[in-house]
Amino acid sequence: MSQTIAEKILAAKAGLDRVTPGQIVDAYPDLVMSHTATWRSVSVMKKIGAKHLYDPNRLAIVLDHISPAKTEKYASDQQTSRNFAREYGIEKFYDVDAGIAHLVLMENGHVKPGDLIVGTDSHCTIYGALGALGSGIGYTEVASVWVTGKLWMKVPTTIKLILNGRFAPGVSAKDLMLHLIGTLGADGCGYKSVEFDGSALPEMSISERMTMANLAMEMGSKCVFIPPDEKTREWLLPRLKDPASYRPVVADQNAVYEQSIEIDLSKLTPMIACPHQVENTKPIAEVMGTRIDQAFLGSCANGKYEDLVVAANILAGRKIDPRVRLIVTPGSKQIMLEAMRSGVLATLIESGALVTNPGCGACAGDGGTMADGEVSLSTANRNFVGRMGSNKSSIYLSSPATLAASALKGVIADPREFF
Amino acid sequence: MNMVEKILARKSGQQSVTPGDVVLADIDLMLMHDLSANFVMKVFENEMEGASIADPSKLVFAFDHNFAPATRDAAEALAAVRRFAKKHKVKNLFDSGCGSIHHVVMEAGLVTPGMIVIGCDSHSPIYGAIGAFGTGVGNNSMAALGFTQNKGWFKVPETIKIHFHGTPMATVQPRDISQFLVGKLGEDGAIYKALEYAGPYIESLDVNDRALFPLQAIDVGGKCGFVNPDEKTLRHVRQLFGARASAPEFELLPNDPDCRYADIIDIDVSRIEPQVACPPTVGNVKPIDAVVGTPINVAEAGGSTGGRLSDIRALARCLANRRIHPDVRLQVVPASRDIYLAALKEGLFETLHLAGANIFPPSAGSNQAFNMGALAEDEVMISTQARNFPGRNGHPKARHFLASALTVAASALAGKITDPRTLEVQ
Repeated sequence: MSQTIAEKILAAKAGLDRVTPGQIVDAYPDLVMSHTATWRSVSVMKKIGAKHLYDPNRLAIVLDHISPAKTEKYASDQQTSRNFAREYGIEKFYDVDAGIAHLVLMENGHVKPGDLIVGTDSHCTIYGALGALGSGIGYTEVASVWVTGKLWMKVPTTIKLILNGRFAPGVSAKDLMLHLIGTLGADGCGYKSVEFDGSALPEMSISERMTMANLAMEMGSKCVFIPPDEKTREWLLPRLKDPASYRPVVADQNAVYEQSIEIDLSKLTPMIACPHQVENTKPIAEVMGTRIDQAFLGSCANGKYEDLVVAANILAGRKIDPRVRLIVTPGSKQIMLEAMRSGVLATLIESGALVTNPGCGACAGDGGTMADGEVSLSTANRNFVGRMGSNKSSIYLSSPATLAASALKGVIADPREFF
Repeated sequence: MNMVEKILARKSGQQSVTPGDVVLADIDLMLMHDLSANFVMKVFENEMEGASIADPSKLVFAFDHNFAPATRDAAEALAAVRRFAKKHKVKNLFDSGCGSIHHVVMEAGLVTPGMIVIGCDSHSPIYGAIGAFGTGVGNNSMAALGFTQNKGWFKVPETIKIHFHGTPMATVQPRDISQFLVGKLGEDGAIYKALEYAGPYIESLDVNDRALFPLQAIDVGGKCGFVNPDEKTLRHVRQLFGARASAPEFELLPNDPDCRYADIIDIDVSRIEPQVACPPTVGNVKPIDAVVGTPINVAEAGGSTGGRLSDIRALARCLANRRIHPDVRLQVVPASRDIYLAALKEGLFETLHLAGANIFPPSAGSNQAFNMGALAEDEVMISTQARNFPGRNGHPKARHFLASALTVAASALAGKITDPRTLEVQ
C-alpha cells in the first residue's frame, strides 16, 4: 500500500514494513536535540537513576536560548549541560556562541532526508525543510529517549498543501505561512503531517523552506515535509559527513491524504499576525500605520542569511526611524560570518540596527524585552502575551521585508514599495 | 595653579583657588548611564517635587549596561528614562547599542578641554585625558544640585604627580602600567587627590591610551585624574569635531610651570611586567607570574577599559589563524558603534570569529552582567573590564581577573592565564 513521507519514516524507524495512521509505534529517533533546557533532562536522568545513554552519537546539544548567561542560575544550568556533554562524550555539542539549535544542526549536516528527529522545542518541524521528520517533545521524554533510544508515536494522517504560481515582489514564504495559519487556524493541522507539493516548490530556496516548515508548527502540525529535491541535495551534500547517507524519502504516488489544499502564491499579499495569537492574521492593508517601538529581525523562522539580505537590501543607504529600535540577531555563527563577509552586517548597522551575537535572542525573551505598552514587530514565529517581556506589551509578526520597511517608517508598512 | 585648579577657579568665578578651598562651580555636562539615569530620575521625580531642570542640554543619558534588556524590569527602567528625556527635553539620549558611556560621550565630541563633567559613574575622571575636570558623583547630588542648578560643590584637591619614564616591554600595554599603579598606590592610596599622569611615557601615548590612567583614578581613591593638556590633546579634540559645521570654542588650561604637588612618584615602566588584578578587588594587582596557569572559562575584551579599536586589533593580531582553547568562551565587545563598524570593515571581526570569538553589540559588555557575563560558582573569567568584585558577574564565588587585551588573548588561546610574552604575535 502506498504511504506518505511521515508513514514511511515512522515505519522505517520502528522496524516495520508499513504503518497506517492512528497506529502507535515504538520509533527509534536518529537524533535527539536538546537546547538550553538540556540541564532539565539531565536532572530527570539523575532522578530516574539512569547512568547509560542508548547511543551518545544520537544526542545533539545546542545552548541557544539565553546565550550567554545573564544570571548565575543560567550560568550554572549551562555548566550542567556542558559537563554532561563532556562526561558522556557528546560530539554534537554546541556552546552559547553557536546559534539557534535548528539552524546549527542543519548547517552542520546533522539532518538529512528520512531522519526521525525529536527535540525539546516545538519548532523541530523545521527539519522537514530537508525532508526529515522533526517533532517537538518535552524534556522528560527527551531524557527517556536518551536512555531507551525509543519513543512511542502515533502515526499522523497527512494533509497536502499544493503551492502553485509565484510570489509577487515583496511577498515571501513568511506571508504564505501567516496566510495559511490564519486560514486554517492554530489547530487546523492538529497532530497531522503536512506535505508541501506543487509547481512552486522547486523554485523555493532552502531558506524559504525552513521558514515554511518552521511556521507550519503554528497550525498544530506534528511534522512537516518539503519533499527533498535537487535543491535539497545541492544544499546538503557538502554538509554531510557521509554523502552516501543521502537517501531521499518521498511519498508514494497513491499515498492517502486526508485533505489537499491548493494555494496560488501570486494572489498573496504581505500578512501580519496581530496580538496575541499567530492565527490572528490580517493583510497588511488592515494594520498599516500601527506604531512600533521595536523591530526584531531574527529567530529560527527568519534569522537566516537570506532574511538578513532581504532586510539589508531595503535598509541600504537609509536610516531607520529614530523612534524604532531595530535588533538583528543572526541565527547562527555561520550566518553571522556570511553577513560579515558580504557587507550585510555593515549595511544593517549603518542603517541604525543593533546586531547581537547569534542565538535565539529576543524571540525567547532573551534581550529585546519590552516594557508596558510597547509594541514590537518581529520576524519570529510566536506573538503570545508576555513572550517578549511585559504582559501589557504586544507583538506583531511579519516577514523580513515588512520588518525592514516598517523600521524605516516607524509604523507597520507595506514592503512592496521597495521592490 | 595646575589644570584642575584652573578649571575649578574659572568655573567658580574666581581668580585662583588652592587645595582645601571649597568652591561652588558651574557644571558643563552631566552623565548618566542607563542604571544611574533611572536612579537619578527617581530622586528628581519622587523627592524634589516641583523642581525643574535648569538646562537639559547639559544632560547626557547613554544606555550601555543593557544592550537589549533581558528582563521586563530592565525594559521598564529604560522606557522610564526615555519618557523622562522626552518630557524634559533631554536631547542627548544614546539608546542601547551605542556603546560604553564614556567612549560614546568622547566620540560624540561633547566634552571640550576646560569643562567640568560630572557623571554618576565612578570612572568619570576619564575626561582628564582631554583637558577636562571629570569626577563621579552620587545620584542625589546629581539630581539636587546638578539637575536644578547646573552646579556642584567641590573641595579643591591636592595633586599627586606620577612621573612615568622608560620604554615598556613589547607585550606590556598601557593597561598593565595603569593597573600597576593601582597596585602600587593601593585602593586608598590617593583619597580625594587629583592624580596627574606625566613624564615621557605618558607623553608618548595617544589620547585613547592616556585615557586609561584617569579612568582608573577612582581605583586608588582619587577625586580626578589628568594629563597636562598638550598638542596631542588639541589635535585629538579637534579631530572629534572634524565633520561638524561649527566646532565649539575652547581653550587648553595647561599647568603653570611652578605648580605644587603633595607628592611626586617616579615609575620606571621598563621594569613592569604584565599585571593582573586578581579577585576579589581591583587593587589586588599582581605581576602575571603569580597567577599564570589558572584555568579560565570566559575571556572578554570589552568594557570602558577595553573594547577600543586598539584592543580589538591587539586581540586579532594574537588570534589570527589560530583557534581559542575549546573550553573557553571568548567575548568581544566593542566600546562604541563607530568602533564596531571600523573593526568590522577592517576584517578584525572575521579574524576573531574564525578564531572562535563571539562578537557582541557595543555596550559595557559583561560589566555587572545585565545582558551577558554571569558566571557559575566555580567559573573563572579574565577580561579587560574595570571591575572584578565578588558577585558582580554571577555567583559570588566565581572569580574574575582583569588584564590587558594581549593577556586576555594569550589566555583565551591557552585556556589558562598566560603571559603574553610567551606568545608569538603575528
